[in-house]
Amino acid sequence: MAATVLVVDDHPSFRAFARRLLEAAGFAVVDEASDGASALDAVRALRPEVVLLDVLLPDTTGFELAETLSIDPARPMVVLTSSRSADDFDSSLARSSALGFIAKRDLTAAAFAALVDGAS
Amino acid sequence: MRLTRLLVWLAGGGLAATMIVGAQHNGIWPPPEKAAISYAAAFVAITVGVIVWQLRPESRTGLLLTAWPFVALLEDLRTVFAGSAIAVTIGYATTWMGAPVLGHLALSYPTGRLRYRLDRAAVGVAYALAAAFGLATILLFDPRPQWDGTITEFQHHAAPITHIPGSEAAGLPDAFDRSLLPLAVLFIALLARKLVRSTPGGRRVVLPLAIAGGFAAVQFIVQFALVGGPVNSYSNRHPVWFWVVNGASLAIPLSLAAGLVWGRRARAVVADLVVELERTPPGSVRDALAHTLGDPTLELALWLPKQGSYVDAHGRPLTLPAHGSERAVTTLGPAEAPIAALIHDPVLLERRALLTAAGAAARLALENERLQAELRAQLAELRASRARIVSAGDEERRRLERDLHDGAQQRLLSLGLALQLVRAKLGPDVDGAADLLTEADVELRAALDELRELARGIHPAILTEQGLAAALKSLAERSPVPVTIASLPDQRLSAPAEAAAYFLVSETLANVAKYAQATHVRINLTHVDGRVLVDIDDDGVGGADPARGSGLRGLADRVHALDGRLALESPPGNGTHLHAEIPCV
Repeated sequence: MAATVLVVDDHPSFRAFARRLLEAAGFAVVDEASDGASALDAVRALRPEVVLLDVLLPDTTGFELAETLSIDPARPMVVLTSSRSADDFDSSLARSSALGFIAKRDLTAAAFAALVDGAS
Repeated sequence: MRLTRLLVWLAGGGLAATMIVGAQHNGIWPPPEKAAISYAAAFVAITVGVIVWQLRPESRTGLLLTAWPFVALLEDLRTVFAGSAIAVTIGYATTWMGAPVLGHLALSYPTGRLRYRLDRAAVGVAYALAAAFGLATILLFDPRPQWDGTITEFQHHAAPITHIPGSEAAGLPDAFDRSLLPLAVLFIALLARKLVRSTPGGRRVVLPLAIAGGFAAVQFIVQFALVGGPVNSYSNRHPVWFWVVNGASLAIPLSLAAGLVWGRRARAVVADLVVELERTPPGSVRDALAHTLGDPTLELALWLPKQGSYVDAHGRPLTLPAHGSERAVTTLGPAEAPIAALIHDPVLLERRALLTAAGAAARLALENERLQAELRAQLAELRASRARIVSAGDEERRRLERDLHDGAQQRLLSLGLALQLVRAKLGPDVDGAADLLTEADVELRAALDELRELARGIHPAILTEQGLAAALKSLAERSPVPVTIASLPDQRLSAPAEAAAYFLVSETLANVAKYAQATHVRINLTHVDGRVLVDIDDDGVGGADPARGSGLRGLADRVHALDGRLALESPPGNGTHLHAEIPCV
């Protein structure tokens, strides 16, 4: 049974390609969200196992949303992503409760699957 | 108005002459020789009053100065022409008016305006009492039965034409004097307050009249204390009091004349000012003028013709007080092209000659001061505009970086994902398409790298989002020469200061990598008293020249635009030390 995934990013074209990439690799993308608030709603309604979460969102940061999700009853796994690289962020990244970080330029189905499989 | 004043003066002269002549023949008081002295003195006082009225028509002082001796003359009509019912009526109607006019004059001198509410109340009550008693007297008082064979004043007296037959009201004059007593005490207190609250220069102007007015009030109280009865009849009977009362009346015009004479000292004072200005350092002309004019509250407003506005000595904009406010304004220089304006105690207007002379003496120094103020104003404006330009440039850089990040970079990233999808769909290599895809991916990554470096150079996102400390740590990690960071500010600073400090470090590190041949760089940033102090040391070859590259020059400009300082020490062979102080505004 393929893991269910929620894609959260404010760029529609990135969401669309990420969905197709993950679906091609066998993941079940249950929904997309463009900001923190709708992401939280979607997590509570659909209970995805994994959230692919952009760090920079219009209404919050991926770090903060990951914190919220880590104490939510749904407790999905969180994979952070960003168009910036890891060295653009300070210790927030290291402190984050997220499963891991994949820069968007390095985002492949294989890298995503490796993180998720490693955890489960 | 000129005609009115001329007529008033002629009427005063006519009245005084008529009364001197009248006293020779049928008067009961004063005796002829005393009448001549008294009424001539009154005419002198009227003359002084009319002159002041003519010179200062906007001030009520001249009018009051004229009115006071005039009332004194009218009051005496009832004794000089005691047999005339009309003269007796006019005399009794005006008998009480002298005191309120004198009080009004002394308390409002020299502006003619009563400044405090209590002043206005006291003078108002005195006028009302005088009018009420005047009216009551001509209606109810018949002087004839008052004559007991001793008080000459009532001998041969006619009754006022308005007298209501049968009424006597013998106590009226006495009652007025009694009601005036507390007012006289209050008047002395108000005069004292006026003196205490004056500026030293103002006090010099007010003092002679205050002494004269105070003297009149004190002699009234003393007389009253001595006899406890009608003061007029007492002073009439005692020759000493005649001189005291008349001396008090004469003291008023004399004190004004003294004030005018005092004004002549202006020249001597201005001569001192000229000498003082010689020694005055730039920016202290105000102090010299304040000292000369005896007004420590004096403000100096310098006129800048180009801006068409007034500024203070520091070049800061200054608005002149509105007309009719508590402060007076005297403009120096021609009206169409003033040099400066003095904002001062309105009392100094009485010493206009001194004001004008002091202004003329200070003209050269003021011109000088004005040029300096103009320069300071321009410098301040230049500094502000430089800071605005830098700040606008930073904002533009931030916007460009955001546009690159949200636009081109996102599209390239999506393209990368699309390439991955194509590769997955192709399956086994078809006609070398997989190789082509790999090449495309390499190109794409190179484009992303270049774009990222470009965006970072324009304005690093980490600086905007996480602040100077995080941005500098990231910068240090990427530097080809090893960097030690000794300390960093632990709080966010103002955006211009953060940007200036960041670009200073970034450009310096780039220079070190390019020219210094250093093995190590040490960076130290501290936040002290609203300034961020930046120190960067390397162990390279030294000999850096700020004039050589445009990079360092641009950094110095950026730091100076924020009113900061930048110093570079780079002895050949001995490393380079850069020190900057950037205000966090």
